[in-house]
Amino acid sequence: MTFLAPWALLAGVLAAAGVVALHLVARRRPASYPLPTARFVPDRRTLVSRASRRPRDLLLLLLRVLLILSAAAAFARPVLTPRRSAIARILLLDRSAAVANPAEATRRARELVSDGVPTRLIAFDSAVAVLGEELGVLDSLDRVPPTHGGRVASVSALMAAARRLGSEIGAGADSVELTLVSPLTDREVDAASDSIRALWPGRVRLVPIAATPATRAMPPLGRAVRAEDVLGPALGGRTVREDTHAVRLVRGEPSGADSALARSGGVVVRWDSIGTRTAVPLAVAMGDDVVVATLARTSRDSDGVVLARWADGSPAAIERPLGEGCLREVAIGVPVSGDLPLSPTFQRIVNGLTDACASVRVDAGMPLDSARRAAFIGPARAARGSALANSAERPTPITSWLLGVALACALLELLLRRSYGEPGAAEAA
Amino acid sequence: MTTGAASYGALLDAVRGVRWPARRRATGATIGAHRSRLRGSSSEFSEFRPYRQGDDPRRVDWRLLARSDRAYVRLTTDRATMRTEIILDASASMAFPPVTLERWQRAREVAIGLAAVAHAESDPVGLSIAAEAPVRIPPRARRSVIAEMIRAVETVTARGSSGLAPLLASSRAARVAVITDLLGDAEELLAASRLALAAGSEVVLLHLLTLEELDPPAEAQLAVDPEQPELRRSLDADGRRRYRAALDSWMERAQGDFRAAGVRYVRALASESAARIVRRVAADAPADE
Repeated sequence: MTFLAPWALLAGVLAAAGVVALHLVARRRPASYPLPTARFVPDRRTLVSRASRRPRDLLLLLLRVLLILSAAAAFARPVLTPRRSAIARILLLDRSAAVANPAEATRRARELVSDGVPTRLIAFDSAVAVLGEELGVLDSLDRVPPTHGGRVASVSALMAAARRLGSEIGAGADSVELTLVSPLTDREVDAASDSIRALWPGRVRLVPIAATPATRAMPPLGRAVRAEDVLGPALGGRTVREDTHAVRLVRGEPSGADSALARSGGVVVRWDSIGTRTAVPLAVAMGDDVVVATLARTSRDSDGVVLARWADGSPAAIERPLGEGCLREVAIGVPVSGDLPLSPTFQRIVNGLTDACASVRVDAGMPLDSARRAAFIGPARAARGSALANSAERPTPITSWLLGVALACALLELLLRRSYGEPGAAEAA
Repeated sequence: MTTGAASYGALLDAVRGVRWPARRRATGATIGAHRSRLRGSSSEFSEFRPYRQGDDPRRVDWRLLARSDRAYVRLTTDRATMRTEIILDASASMAFPPVTLERWQRAREVAIGLAAVAHAESDPVGLSIAAEAPVRIPPRARRSVIAEMIRAVETVTARGSSGLAPLLASSRAARVAVITDLLGDAEELLAASRLALAAGSEVVLLHLLTLEELDPPAEAQLAVDPEQPELRRSLDADGRRRYRAALDSWMERAQGDFRAAGVRYVRALASESAARIVRRVAADAPADE
């Protein structure tokens, strides 16, 4: 236990000593002496003080000293300081689709935690899960497949969670090591990552592991697109094979064969409004790509994963899982005239809408370059626990109890003093 | 402390022969030891005075008339008695110091001594005690009056705060001796004295003090007025100094006031012997002789 305001305790001790000293000074009324000419004595106080070897009114003294010390101890703000260790560790284990081999990541994590340092585990993919210190958790992680459609993780959210956890465990350790087991790709780092990373006052130990390859071929289209189709320029270069089960672009209601394709793992893209002649200026966004053009807008059922949105936030393209594949509906009407299909941005949107299902699509990005990685790792020293902890002390109810004791002593002292009557009256008798 | 008439024997012996002349001519009709305002037929020749119309022809000195052919009246000096009353303060403040009660004891002795002196000159003497139950023995000249007074003072205890002024105002004596510490109704007593003096009486005030009052003992740290118990004052070093100054001032003021009014003020200490105090009271020569 320690005191946040030790001067209050010191002041209380001094005050208690003063009370004891006052109790050693016996103020009593002297014995009366009948003097007929007392009227000529000037009217002054009738109490005299003298020093005593033993304090008087021991019970009153005890109550007063207890009152003062209790109040002083309460005002000194006692807190319980937890037992500290030299170092603690926060292990950040990447479980996102960016990790090429999750088993390898778990193995590396197990190697790290085998040194006996108290470790808190944060497993993250697109979500962040703070786990305990049990090493068995690592084994269970091996059996959990990556979630959320293979999306990569957000380092910003991860660092925020790590900072919160650091605030909790920082009070119990002199330093906190933050270890990140991740390929750390550029898709995992966003614009806010640097500022959030700066909130961690120390080094991030990076244990790199292999990332899922970021470059891959777009899945082949399974149906021919006529040369005059407005999407033709946008799909230029894509392989068209009639017998493929990858992606099928359809117009109108999908047929039974289309549904069978989707159930077997393919992608059926229903894109009706191709070649529309009634278009107005609209904006559509998909990921980081935004296109502002004369487009036609049709209504679609919004039940599904939104892939693209209109400027007002309403879905422009959705995807619904169907069997092992998915069915995708696009409500973006492309005008028959204009050079929109030639726009690189629009081509990226079209490729994205004709890409594989989101549940199996992986785009982990490229590993960070050395400069950004070094900046992310930061200084050579691990974060100090005191710098992380909001307060090194935990609040304790003892302050309330001390104040209660002081109040009780004050009441008892008042009652006792009243029972004694006027101070010194007993001695004057 | 001895009590009873026997204890006053030594005092009565000590004051035997002491004279207590009146300061004014006595107006009593009975022949006594004091000069009378009347000049008449006594045998003590004083002087001759030419006869005036209206003089008693029997007082004309016929032999001188025969020799000188002038009519002279023979004047003589008359002596008369003086009704004397002793007023004794028996308030609680007189019972001081607390253990010895020296002031009360001395006041009783002086009262008896003065009464004995007056009685020895054939003066009718009486005693009034301002006690909680006032005692009044009217002036008498018979021999047993002193013994009666002794019994009276021995039965009274000094307590309470009875006033002296009513007793003085109701007194018809030609000479009144008040024995007091002046710690009671001093102002009223001064007013009553003025009235008595205006009526032709002689007033003697014996202010009886004690050494303990003038210099309170060291153990007197908390002074309590016996007549006003709620009056409690602390006597520290500075308080003692200021107390003495206030007491001296008060005594001087009281002496000045009473003397200015015509009262014969005598201050005495209770530690003095009663006979000495009696002699001091009685020794002064008459003022108008």
